Amino acid sequence: MIERQVTVQNRAGIHTRPASMIVRTASQFDADVYIQKDNYEINGKSVIGVMTLAAEQGATLTLVVEGEDEDEAADALVELFEDGFGEEM
Amino acid sequence: MSHRPKTFQKESITVEFMVRQLRESVGVEIEALNDADASTRDVTESNLHRPGLALAGYVDLFTHQRVQIIGNTESRYLNHLDAAAREDAFEHLTQFPVPCIIVTAGNPFEDGLVDRAADEGIPVYRTPLPTVRFMAALRGFLTDQFAPQRTVHGSLVDVYGIGILLIGKSGIGKSEVALDLVERGHRLVADDVVIATKQEGPIVMGSGTDLVQHFMEVRGLGLVDVRAMFGIRAIRFQKRIEVVVNMQLWDADKEYTRIDMIEDTHDILGVDLPMVQLPITPGKNITVICEVIAMNYLLRHYGYDPAEVFTERLRDQIRSEGASVPARGIEYFEGDYE
Repeated sequence: MIERQVTVQNRAGIHTRPASMIVRTASQFDADVYIQKDNYEINGKSVIGVMTLAAEQGATLTLVVEGEDEDEAADALVELFEDGFGEEM
Repeated sequence: MSHRPKTFQKESITVEFMVRQLRESVGVEIEALNDADASTRDVTESNLHRPGLALAGYVDLFTHQRVQIIGNTESRYLNHLDAAAREDAFEHLTQFPVPCIIVTAGNPFEDGLVDRAADEGIPVYRTPLPTVRFMAALRGFLTDQFAPQRTVHGSLVDVYGIGILLIGKSGIGKSEVALDLVERGHRLVADDVVIATKQEGPIVMGSGTDLVQHFMEVRGLGLVDVRAMFGIRAIRFQKRIEVVVNMQLWDADKEYTRIDMIEDTHDILGVDLPMVQLPITPGKNITVICEVIAMNYLLRHYGYDPAEVFTERLRDQIRSEGASVPARGIEYFEGDYE
């Protein structure tokens, strides 16, 4: 199991487009992906779930990735966040 | 190390919120006696306290962080004192930062004391409800407020009054089954993100989130608002989670139940809920199976266990003499009548 801290970089926060990017990326891997905001936790392969995080710019989230391809999955997801989902930061 | 789901619970609520909810949601009559600011005072636990001993002057171990209830005993005690002694007694209470004081059973409460509390910033309320009933109502409300919660990835549907929680890997078709159940007249509680709350005893309640409510995501369709599309009959806001249905791809190496529908349990917030392992195979109508699971659960609840009944019938057959080969269920065919 891997845990990674990430920060939401883009100005608009995790709205629908970044949410579906996260889910699309997470779903490419077999590993289970959970995203935590404080004590609230959702499944990273559920668009509705990711949107309920309502994560704004600057919010810190914890990614929990568990499964055989957890390293690749975690790297891919962290990259998305660092990239600000390709949006204005 | 395997991942453990996170649980969360409220650490505090304001007195203002508590009183408003008591009025609006619980339906308790309660009036403010002073205008101390209730929005800055926090309640941090569900236990209540009757401060009889504190009023009498014994304040060791006084649980002043709890909501203080002045019932008949405390009221009479205060009233039998003379004015100066009464103020002293009340001072024992107000020297601590108690969240609020509630006078029950409509007992009168002296203005001087109410103002004294206001000076310390302690709100004082009065309710006409008898002490025991009021405390039960408030306790129930606070227990729920401070109850442990967690999110569950799944869909919760009320099927014939039974709360069925569909779980399973992403993409297995939980939302599709939920949608199908709604189409057949059952009621959606929440899809994808279910907030489970532990109640007293083995009860786990489920509801949706305030943001999502009855929206669901169906792969290939996008977001669907079940309430707007199917109307009020298709939804409900809360439901006890009674049976967990674990949808999974058929695994030839795994042994599935043949006789008893419910053999496994699934832990949510420390409660072992009955779980059905449901392999998905071609031609299997999961929706109908969910209805059967609900009806079977109802039958068992009303004292009829089909597995037990059949086992008993088989045992009788084995014990009885004669019938060593299965006999036809009908002795004589009378034409094509029933």
